[in-house]
Formats: sequence, structure tokens, C-alpha cells
Amino acid sequence: MTPVQVDDLRKTFHDEARGEVQAVAGISFEARQGEIVGLLGANGAGKTTTLRMLSTIIGPTSGRATIMGHDVVAGAAEVRQCLGFYSSTTALYPRLTARETIEFFASVNRYPAEHVAERVEQLIDRFKLNDYADARVEKLSSGMKQKVSIARTLAHDPPVLIFDEPTVGLDVLNALEVHAEIARLRDEGKTILFSTHIMSEAEKLCDRIAIIHGGRLLACDTLKGLRQATSAHYLEDIFVEYVRGAGA
Amino acid sequence: MNDRLRQIGILYVRELRSALRERNIVVNSILLPIVLYPAILWLVYSAISFVAGQSDVLSSRVMLRNLPVEHRQILLDLEERNSVELTTLENPEVAIRRGELDLLVRFEAPDHPDDAFPDNFAVELVYDGSKDRSRTARARLTDQLDDYRLDYLIDTAGAIGIRPATLQLVWIDMRNIASGTDMGRFILGLLVPMFLIIMLSVGCIYPAIDSTAGERENSTWETLMTVATDRSNILLAKYFYVATMSFTAGMLNLAAMTFSLKAVLRPLAGDALDDLSIELPLGAIPVIVLGAALMALFIAAGMMILASFARTFKEGQSMIGPFYIALFLPVMFIQAPDIAFTPVLAAIPVVNVAMMFREAIAGVYQWPLIGITVAVELLAVSLALLLASRILQHEEFLLGGYTGGLGRFIKDRFFKRPRSRTREDQS
Repeated sequence: MTPVQVDDLRKTFHDEARGEVQAVAGISFEARQGEIVGLLGANGAGKTTTLRMLSTIIGPTSGRATIMGHDVVAGAAEVRQCLGFYSSTTALYPRLTARETIEFFASVNRYPAEHVAERVEQLIDRFKLNDYADARVEKLSSGMKQKVSIARTLAHDPPVLIFDEPTVGLDVLNALEVHAEIARLRDEGKTILFSTHIMSEAEKLCDRIAIIHGGRLLACDTLKGLRQATSAHYLEDIFVEYVRGAGA
Repeated sequence: MNDRLRQIGILYVRELRSALRERNIVVNSILLPIVLYPAILWLVYSAISFVAGQSDVLSSRVMLRNLPVEHRQILLDLEERNSVELTTLENPEVAIRRGELDLLVRFEAPDHPDDAFPDNFAVELVYDGSKDRSRTARARLTDQLDDYRLDYLIDTAGAIGIRPATLQLVWIDMRNIASGTDMGRFILGLLVPMFLIIMLSVGCIYPAIDSTAGERENSTWETLMTVATDRSNILLAKYFYVATMSFTAGMLNLAAMTFSLKAVLRPLAGDALDDLSIELPLGAIPVIVLGAALMALFIAAGMMILASFARTFKEGQSMIGPFYIALFLPVMFIQAPDIAFTPVLAAIPVVNVAMMFREAIAGVYQWPLIGITVAVELLAVSLALLLASRILQHEEFLLGGYTGGLGRFIKDRFFKRPRSRTREDQS
């Protein structure tokens, strides 16, 4: 079973000024176990809309997507149980402590009740939160919040993880920690969808890169495959070549 | 079912835990109900008694004219009163108009003298009704002359061996058969419904905004949308949390009012309160708890629907404002003590519960009307929840992209063509 399977996914919104807007216009790709698939695109390319459909926050207009075999529309609750979704717009409850936050997300995401306490301690140790575990989230530094946020994404130990621009607003050191953690998760066998508009991040982390522009998937391959398909070496140049090609 | 309840329970506990750590919610839903209204009432009644005290200190300038010597006791009684200053002026009516005198008491012979009662007299009180001080003087002297007249009547009747009623032909006696408990319940019945409904609303405001607009403002809304539970579970958990805070505020206020009302009213009513027993009848408590629970569910539904359109706490406050005020209007309407609980009133939300409270406190239970009230409130709550679940299905609303309130949303989404289409919409 392919952990993430996306077939001709589309999403149309209605905008007061522009009328019908096709945010995602037929995207298809898949992500295998132990793989990081990067969604690379400029702002407004359709990355976040795609990831929101995969995480069942919004429904697709047409097409089909499955996460661990569950349809994102028909089996939305099951999909959410197999999925950890992290983005710059998924904040933490400021008045809960770090420990309560992880415990809440583990429980509500149906992690076996008898193992929740053990899982919470495991994540507190993993992210070195021990000294701050009982401090309210609102009192933590940005870096610590970031760690708690990733810990809550992993609380129910989902096989598929979505990181939507996870390093936005982070300093270099914190961003590097996030990169290291994502790489470690891949090594543990998680399937990861990683959205970014920062070329170096995609180049460094992703096993395969999907270039998205104007709601369409222009290419999806390894960095080596993309280099071979174009005349460019750097991802930035590869990206520009695809985008210009799509505009022509 | 058990799994669903467990999920709702987890979400509900999270809401409560967060809420009880938020100062505004603790102040508005717990501290205010306990102290605010008893404190406000105490201040108001203390102010009233202070103003009344100021008026008592001001003496009334009174002139007596042609007082019969047989009734000199009137003069002696007046001289003993600190609030009356006796004076004599040449032209008293002009002095009253100028405000130099408050009252002229003119004693005259009766129109039809009776030899049997040679001491009989008539009195004319001359005052200026446009002046407070003059009206106060009139009230003071009227009370005193009434008392004197009654004593005179009883003495005269006794002297000739008849009953005072015979002498006066029509004798009116008054006797209040209400016990101290009855009077206490009457006072509670006037005050409690109003304060209870106000406090159920106040207790609801912050939790309703915090659990909807607050989630958007803190960017936790999208986090919550990704948890592995049905969205209706999230809605129900939030709803029960807001209703719990409202109900708690109402019950705390009721307890505080019941325990403190006697002390609060004392500055105004003084020793008259000693005869009153201000306590809720035990039989009323289940009815009041039921009514408060229904009101909490109704108010929570209304406020959450309105606040869920807001993207910030401030927007939420302004969206809830009109609903909050609208809740008070019917409560003001039932403040008149002579309004009866009828089937028509039982069909009007808020009014019905307030009337049910009032009757229960008085020890009256009209079960058919209580039944109508419960049915109407449950219907209103069900409709509100249905509307909330319909609203929650709209992605634009879910993602916080919708700019407008409930009215515009209903018009746009339920009476116009659909905006954003999903796969399910098409199938």
C-alpha cells in the first residue's frame, strides 16, 4: 500500500472579485514509506491548498487522494488518525503546559489510552523538553514552542507527516534543528510531505521534489532526475526553467 | 457511542482546563456572579437610603393657624419633631410660593357642626406641589395628622360608648396575611429571574468568544481541525463547555443572591427585614436548575454561532453585543409583578424561563406551562445546533476566510448559489 496516493486532485474556490478560482488544477503524485516528498512552489502555487485537502481540513472539488488507504473524503477521521499535520498556521494552546499539550493530542488522536503517559514522556525526552514540560506554552521561547509543536504532531505516532513551510519565521539554528528532526523521522520510516518555497531546504531534505505552479504539478522527480530532465544544475534554475516553460 | 463520548470528554476537559487558566473567564464566570450583583445591589440600596437620609435631615418649615386649644397636643407633638420647624408669617401663601415656607396648616370649624362633637375640626394643608420640600412637608404633616385623627376618633367613640367603626360609618382595616416567608419569596421572585438571566449571559460571553474567535486569533483553529475526531464532536465539546460556564455563573449568582440578599437590602428596609425569611423553597430548586440549564444551552448556542464569525476577540464582542442586549429586554418586561404566566408567555424563549423561575420561587408550579417552556427551549436549542452544524460545513467559514456576520452568511449561503464546491457537493 502506498502511504500517500494523489490522483487528479482539484480545488475550486469562489472569490468575490475574481469569481471561480482554480487553486489546484489536477495534481497527481504519490509518496512512499521512508520518503520525503517536497512540494516546491512560489506563494499561491497551490501547495497549502493541496496539503489542506490531504489533511481533510477542506474537501477536494474533484479527484481522489488516500492516506494509508483511507479516502480523504469518505474516511476523513481515519485519515486524520494516520496523519500528523504541521504548519505555521497550526499554533498551540497557550494556556496548556507542554506535557498537557502532547497528552491532549495523543488522546484525541486515539493513541491507545494505556500508553499515552509513556508516549508523552518519550516525546519529552526526545525533544529535550524535560525542564519545561510543566511550563505553559505561552511562557516558552519560539524555539521551545517549535519543539512542542513538532512533538504534538508526532503525539499519536502517525505513519504520514505533513510539514507545511515549517521553518517560516525561525532563525537559522532552529531551522536546522527542524531539518534534522524531519530527516530523523524519515529514517524512522515515516512518509513525509514537505512544503517549502526555500530551494536549499528542498535540495537538502527531499528524496523527490514536486514542482507546483499555478495549481499544476510541473514535475516530480529526484534532484538527479530533475537535473537530467533540464539543462540546469541548481534547483533554483531547474525551478525557473519549469515555471517559464509552463508560462510559455 | 462510548468512543464518541470519550472523544467529546477529552475535548471538553481541554476547553475547561484552558478556560480556568484565563483570568477574564475566571473573573466573568466565577467571581462576578458571586460578588458583582450582591455588591451592586448593596451599593444601590445604600445610595437610596443615603439620599433618603439627606431628605430626613432637611427640616420642614410649617405654620399652624387657628389651632383649637383642645387640640394643643398637635402642637406639642410637632415641637418634639426635629424634622419640623414651626414658624409664623404674615402672608404664608406668598411665602410658600417664594419658597420661604413649606406648609400652612389651617384649622377650621367643620362645615356641618355637630353639638355632640364640639371639638371636631377641619384641616386644610396649603402647599406648593411644584416644590420638593413643600411636598415632603405635606407628607410629613399628613402622616402626623392621620395618626392624631385616628387616636381622637377612638377616644371620642370610647367616651360615648360606641365602636370607632360606628362613628366613622365606613371603617377600613388592613391585615397582611402573608408570612415572612411569603414576602421574602415575593422579593426573591422579582429580583432573582432578572439577575439569574443576566448572569447566565455574562458567564457565557468570554467562553463563547474564547472557544470560537479566540481559536482563530490564536491560530489554534486549524490545529483543531486536524485532530482525529468528527467535527461534530468538536462542536459539541465546545458547546457543552460554554453552557457549563454559563450554568456555573448562574448557579453561583443564585447562591450568592440568596445568601446575601437580606444583608444587601438592610440599608433600605431596616428592621422591617427581620420579619422576612429570604430563602428558596426546596421544591423550586429542581425547577430553577432545569430552567437555568435550558437557558445556559440556549444562550451558549446563540452566542457561539454569532462569535464564530469573528476572527478576533474584539470582533467577537461586538458581534455578541446585540444578542446580549436582546436577552435583557424580555427580562425587563416581566419585572411588573402583576404579569401572569400564560401559554403565550410560555412559548416565548427567555420570558418563559424567567416566568418559570418567578413562579417556582413563589411555590407555584404550573406543570403544563413548565412543559411548554421546556419544549420551546429545547426546540430553540435544537434549531441553533442545526444551524451551527450547517455553518460548519462551509469551508470558507471553517478557514476564516469569510468576512461578515451571521445575517450575511445566511443570506449568501442558504439563499444564493453555492460558492466553493467539494467532491461531495457534486456527487
